[in-house]
Amino acid sequence: MNDIPKIKEILTDLCSLPGVSGHETPVAEEIKTIWSKLCDEISVSRLGNVYALKKGINAPEDAHRKVLFATHMDAVGMIVTELTGEFVRFEEIGGLDPRILPGQFVTIHTKTGPVKGLIVMPTKSLTKETYGSNPIPLKDLLIDTGYEAEDLQKIVRPGDVISYANDPVSMQDDTFSGHTLDNRASVAAVAVCLQELQTIQHKWDVIAAATVLEEESMAGGKTAPVDIRPDIAVAIDVTFATGPGSKEWNTRPLGSGPALGFGMNIHPKLYELFKGICEELRIPYTTEFSPRMTGTDGRELQVALNGIPTIVISIPLRYMHTANELISMKDVRDVGHLLAEFVHRLDENTMDSLVWED
Amino acid sequence: MKELLEKLTSAFGPSGYESRVRDLILETIKNDIDEYRIDALGNLITRKGTRKANGKRIMVSAHMDEIGLMVTHVDEQGFAYVTNLGGVRPLNLMSNRVVFADGTEGMLCARDMEPGKIPALDQYFVDTGASSRKSCKVKIGDPAVFVGRFVDMGDRRMSKTMDDRIGCLIAIEALKALKDSPHEVRFVFSVQEEVGLRGAKTSAYSVDPEIGIALDVTLCNDTPGLTERNLKFGAGPCIKAKDGSLVGTPWLNNALYDAAERAGIPYQVEVLRGAGTDAGAISLTRSGVPSSVISVACRYVHTPSEMVDVSDVKQAIQLLVEFLSKEIK
Repeated sequence: MNDIPKIKEILTDLCSLPGVSGHETPVAEEIKTIWSKLCDEISVSRLGNVYALKKGINAPEDAHRKVLFATHMDAVGMIVTELTGEFVRFEEIGGLDPRILPGQFVTIHTKTGPVKGLIVMPTKSLTKETYGSNPIPLKDLLIDTGYEAEDLQKIVRPGDVISYANDPVSMQDDTFSGHTLDNRASVAAVAVCLQELQTIQHKWDVIAAATVLEEESMAGGKTAPVDIRPDIAVAIDVTFATGPGSKEWNTRPLGSGPALGFGMNIHPKLYELFKGICEELRIPYTTEFSPRMTGTDGRELQVALNGIPTIVISIPLRYMHTANELISMKDVRDVGHLLAEFVHRLDENTMDSLVWED
Repeated sequence: MKELLEKLTSAFGPSGYESRVRDLILETIKNDIDEYRIDALGNLITRKGTRKANGKRIMVSAHMDEIGLMVTHVDEQGFAYVTNLGGVRPLNLMSNRVVFADGTEGMLCARDMEPGKIPALDQYFVDTGASSRKSCKVKIGDPAVFVGRFVDMGDRRMSKTMDDRIGCLIAIEALKALKDSPHEVRFVFSVQEEVGLRGAKTSAYSVDPEIGIALDVTLCNDTPGLTERNLKFGAGPCIKAKDGSLVGTPWLNNALYDAAERAGIPYQVEVLRGAGTDAGAISLTRSGVPSSVISVACRYVHTPSEMVDVSDVKQAIQLLVEFLSKEIK
């Protein structure tokens, strides 16, 4: 269990950095640092995807097969729309629930540097409409920076990106809380996998991709296959863990291990492969049924190029898209381990075994 | 410029039926471009200049199509029922006139006229003056557009289809003014933007640009009753930070801000809650294209009377020319 502090360290680093969709540079730099120690080559795409190549062995150059691990690195956040007196109005990037925003500290990334802010809710008597007992919608929320109107005008301007500012916290029973565990937890899981691959022989090339813009347009997941041309794609993301008010049938407990995707975006044989590995190695797992398109890069990966056998592997997470998401580090470790064992088993016969039979 | 804008906005060109607009544009620009082709969907793809050592291949896209209606069926009495081509809001249909490709005009009314309620789109019909299905000149599948005369209001102009003939105008004027650029500029006049950015999707694939810029209108919210007043008339062209289809690429936006500052043009940073432009489709092409939008604030978008400010349009042209004239870092 001596790798627990390492995951904690990586998560702490990653969840302390901004990286709102389309503005991923701060976290991309950190991911490059973490992954570069564990791979052969690092590159960056035109849209900002970070690719880490870990080369396979014992295969002639032209027969090299490639597996793509796609983990999006972008975060939900906000963007300044206008200044109203000494307050800032904003709009969401990605999906936010306005009910959990008031009281959160945020950072506004201005041309001249970061500005601290607090999301506040105007008293109901000051809003135009009457909301009764309903929550005040996003358009009526404000950010208070402490600046007076005149100074604010000079520093903050429309288009400035806003990120959650709270620090991550290591919690009881191997759990961890912070903003943007969606999807930095998966970036950490891929680091665990790359770490394990240092001492595992594998025939296939592994390309870990930290993708951009998943929360907005899935642009990173859509364009990565054109750069990489993978034979198999695995999207690693988070999914809903059982929590207050959750429905049992489509959630799973924290600590229940990887959630293996099953549904229209997922190649049934890949599901069987992953399930087999979990059973063989006694890695706990659950199956996540996705009767429709999954809300992950997986749905773009599957239909990229001339079609790529794809699976989605997810880490259970509570309080998605809030400033305090919660995961179990055990799940991060299990997902990393499962990915490494999957790579270990990839050989020259794998592609022939991937026949779509339902 | 005024005469050209009047011609452009008056042309009939609902999504999928852009040929008249395309012919007009091609006639206007054919002596100012190095080559052109028309692809299978009808996009007009042009090239101006060649890529120098410090240059890029840049796609500049303005869409030719406009929102409209399409006939779903004609009843026994000769009333033509319609569905939407693009983002037509039922609120904007009532009592408006439409015109079909053959010049047949009609007026819009709805079956269900309960006071205080906006009828749903499927309740609307076009009365072309026909007395029976047989004598009705329009048939199932016929497209129509709003009637909306071009009006010169001095500092402002009003017409149907400023969205996006104003983008076409900016592209035309910029390509005529552009001299001595280090870039290979692909001015694309795209089709079917209003029904899902379809022309930009296929033209960007064939152009394979390194940078994508869309020219379009955006929602000007300086009119009474709007809570967000971040975009207004007369404050310069808008540069896109975000809309429903795109997060403007930060370094590219910085290059656009710099170009505006070099040219001494005011500009507005634009954040739009929804909607999308050709830039959204361009950005997702092949292995990804850094993209943004230069837009013009427009009042009453998707009505028969879209209004723009003349100085915003002129400055948008200046901004585009300045941006395309210099090396992009």
